Amino acid sequence: MKVTIGELKNIRFFDNYSDDQLKIFIRLSSIKEFRVKEILFEQYDELSEMYVLLTGCLSMGISLAKEKRIHLSTLEEGDLFSWSAAFSPYISTAWVMATCPTKVLAIDARKLNLEFEKNCDFGFKTMAKIAQTISHRLSDTRFQLMNQLTL
Amino acid sequence: MLNEKNIYNPIHAKLTDVIEESSLIKTFVLIPEEEFSFKTGQFIELSVDGIGEAPFTPSSSPLITEKLEVTVMKTGYVTEIMHNLKPGGYMGIRGPYGRGYPVEKFFGKEILILGGGCGLAPIRSLLYALENVKDKLVKVILCYGSKTPADCIYKPLFDRLNNTEKFEAHRTVDKADESWSGSVGVVTSLLNKVKVNIDNSVAVVCGPPIMMKFGTIRLLEMGYRDEQIYLSMEKNMSCGLGKCGHCMMGEFFVCKDGPVFTYNEIKHNPEIWK
Repeated sequence: MKVTIGELKNIRFFDNYSDDQLKIFIRLSSIKEFRVKEILFEQYDELSEMYVLLTGCLSMGISLAKEKRIHLSTLEEGDLFSWSAAFSPYISTAWVMATCPTKVLAIDARKLNLEFEKNCDFGFKTMAKIAQTISHRLSDTRFQLMNQLTL
Repeated sequence: MLNEKNIYNPIHAKLTDVIEESSLIKTFVLIPEEEFSFKTGQFIELSVDGIGEAPFTPSSSPLITEKLEVTVMKTGYVTEIMHNLKPGGYMGIRGPYGRGYPVEKFFGKEILILGGGCGLAPIRSLLYALENVKDKLVKVILCYGSKTPADCIYKPLFDRLNNTEKFEAHRTVDKADESWSGSVGVVTSLLNKVKVNIDNSVAVVCGPPIMMKFGTIRLLEMGYRDEQIYLSMEKNMSCGLGKCGHCMMGEFFVCKDGPVFTYNEIKHNPEIWK
């Protein structure tokens, strides 16, 4: 199942891309669906796809042990996740689970990296968006840490 | 001279109800024995005879003058005594003091409110004031975070706002339990889901200092300008009159010049987030 340019334009992550750049995403991606409680990936899994949440709800967290999942945050529609697929060593730093029926856009991260080399503007724009996602995640984690330290 | 009223003397208020909001937070419903009114965002000194007083921003509507609600978190000696009070008792009120929210400046705009923990108390009063002038507003969005679902105060408020024209409310918790199916994460994570026209918007932030710091940083990153961000500062206010100096922050007495400031007014002060 493929997404359309019109649909991508309604998703926050894809703001400010040209139609040609959106076509690259369409070429490298597919829509995947997940059921309630289905795990998209586990912490420490090797990743090959970056995801953008299209519809539904996802929970993200870390595991202390196999049975002990700690739920850290909820992902919102338009959020990018699984960005570790774009960087060596391509290992996930968290698990993600669907908490309601969910659709995501799965982008082939290896092929995306190759596109970055061919199309620098596209690569810079996308890397900036990934960096912003990581920056927000880091800022939120600091916020959570400060909350814990000052309890 | 002898006939002048002592400005430190509180007026008595009968405690008519005590609402348990969470394990550490209670709302006291008071009927002042004298006429008493305040502007949203102003604070009062609430006292227990013979024990002491502490500053709080009323959480009730500023439009209701015969009744006052004050939400108190148990954090120390005075607030612990307050938490043991029962309906029928009396408390003292001094004030109101300081500069509240400039509601008239919000007319024609979208208002994004970021609240955390007990910071929802002043915000609830602001929301009542905004509901009263909603015809003059474009939209009001509340984003609120609490540590756990049980720590969330004024729970019915959220459904009510979501059923009120021009209002929307979002909640998140730092740590979920079995009962919770909503968002998990710090309050700033809710900002990803709100749609706001930043150029025609103001933001209001009220909560613990850490939340206010991270909230303000995220708002600036979203494109809010310094003068569009209103912060409700709490800085150990004591006399409420700009005399004792306990609440000084740079050149400002928070009790007199605040407690509501724009970020632009206080951003250069190194003590802003302490």
